[in-house]
Amino acid sequence: MSIVHVNELTKMYKNNRGIEQVTFSIEEGEIFGFIGPNGAGKSTTIRTLLNFIYPTSGSATIFGKDIVKDAKEIRRHVGYLPSEVHYYDDMKVIDLLMYSAAFYKVSDQRLKQLAERLDLDIHKKIEDLSFGNRKKVGIVQALLHEPKLLILDEPTGGLDPLMQHTFFEVLLEERKKGVTIFFSSHILSEVQKLCDRVAIIKEGKLIQVETVEYLTKNHLKHVTVVFEEGQHVEFDLAGVVNKEVNGNEMTMLYKGDMNELIAQLHNVRIKDVSISEPSLEDVFMHYYEK
Amino acid sequence: MFKREWKRNAKSLVIWSAVLGGLVLLTLSIFPQFAEQQKEVTKLLQSLPPAMVKAFGMDQLSIGDLTGYYGVRVYTMTTLLGSVYVAMLAANIVAKEENDKTIEFLLAKPITRREILTNKWLVVTVNTLILNAVSLLVSFVGFQMAEEYDVSFKAVYLLTLATVLLHFTFAAVAFLLSTMMRKTRNASSFALGLVFVTYFMSMMSSISDDLSFLKYVSPFKYVDAAPIINELQIDPLYMVLMIVIISVSIVSAYAIYRKKDIVV
Repeated sequence: MSIVHVNELTKMYKNNRGIEQVTFSIEEGEIFGFIGPNGAGKSTTIRTLLNFIYPTSGSATIFGKDIVKDAKEIRRHVGYLPSEVHYYDDMKVIDLLMYSAAFYKVSDQRLKQLAERLDLDIHKKIEDLSFGNRKKVGIVQALLHEPKLLILDEPTGGLDPLMQHTFFEVLLEERKKGVTIFFSSHILSEVQKLCDRVAIIKEGKLIQVETVEYLTKNHLKHVTVVFEEGQHVEFDLAGVVNKEVNGNEMTMLYKGDMNELIAQLHNVRIKDVSISEPSLEDVFMHYYEK
Repeated sequence: MFKREWKRNAKSLVIWSAVLGGLVLLTLSIFPQFAEQQKEVTKLLQSLPPAMVKAFGMDQLSIGDLTGYYGVRVYTMTTLLGSVYVAMLAANIVAKEENDKTIEFLLAKPITRREILTNKWLVVTVNTLILNAVSLLVSFVGFQMAEEYDVSFKAVYLLTLATVLLHFTFAAVAFLLSTMMRKTRNASSFALGLVFVTYFMSMMSSISDDLSFLKYVSPFKYVDAAPIINELQIDPLYMVLMIVIISVSIVSAYAIYRKKDIVV
């Protein structure tokens, strides 16, 4: 059974675009990446799923329950980490976490473990915390009640690399326990590192849902050619995208027949050539150029 | 959640109760001296512009008698200051979550919007009742200090009931504003403006017969001290009117909040 099922979900705002006809499913136990630049509709989708805002049309279910009608039931098993963490300034970290815990059944053990793991001082006042530390409070708060679904909206902002590493470890452990993770981000490398499948969203529309493996391995190659002085080939082949020439160096993404590429290369003198797996960045650019 | 809201607003409740209670006590404590100088007071009243006398209802109430004194001096404070307090409390209580973006935290918890509003309205209710209880208790202490003078307890109870109704009227309207607005600044300035404008209208309607139609617009006029003390009842029409305003505001607040898109 899909944990999240989104069916032609549309949210229109009065003045600006929200999301249009977004459809996708997230299976149990997977880490699902949701990528797109700022303003593409990532947060709108998440806020609609959590029923902060109402869909204009379309529908969605989480755990098979309707996101509007059964919002309360759904939230019992969902952990949410907002992109910007805002908490009650008059509270200490421990107060906030206890307040959060009071909405569920939570063991003190779990709270302490998580705080220790993330190296979070729970006796500080929230308003005195740095951005990164606030984010940690948000992470503990989202994981506290052992949710079955984690919704993370740009979760790594403000975390130092070491903490990011710990955070990813924690996420992978959660996944092992069967937790499904919805991971929204505009940083592709982290999505590539962590996610099983990604959905690419652009200007409110879902462009593609693919496994990370498929996107990076099966199709595109990242090709760099360095010519010798005075040598040049245009590579007018089907399947060349994003060609860039920089002096003697040419980089491009190629998704055509390898033999044709090699045949063309054969005709010129080259200093160096590399054909490699594209980064998700490359793939992403490819979708955005279209 | 009730506990949390209660705690967050407890400090201002204590401050307001202390200030209001102190003022009530102070005002009542000077009554004995005031009554002794009765003659001069009467003279003083005559020297005041008649419009001012009317505005405070002093033409219909004898300020030299403890009940009348209570109705003019103390009642003005409890109604006006109390309304300011409850209006600010109710105007902030919902909008603050959106203003500070903490609503994102709250709405991700297993709680419905209806439950959020119910908890918050409950805090407003309890705080309003406590404020009025404090002012009533302090009044009794004040009456003790002037024990040689008679006071009509029935009138005092009725005035207290009227104050409570008035406070709930403002609280309900401010609560509705609070659910509609995204910024506490807007919600509380609207609510405060409402309190002061209607207070002003109530005074105007007493002064000038031409403006007497204003009395239907101002809740302060609904609970005017003079008729309550003189007739020992709150006009049922006004009572119904206030209950209607309260109910309509609260029901609309729930309806609006239920459908609201909350973007932070």
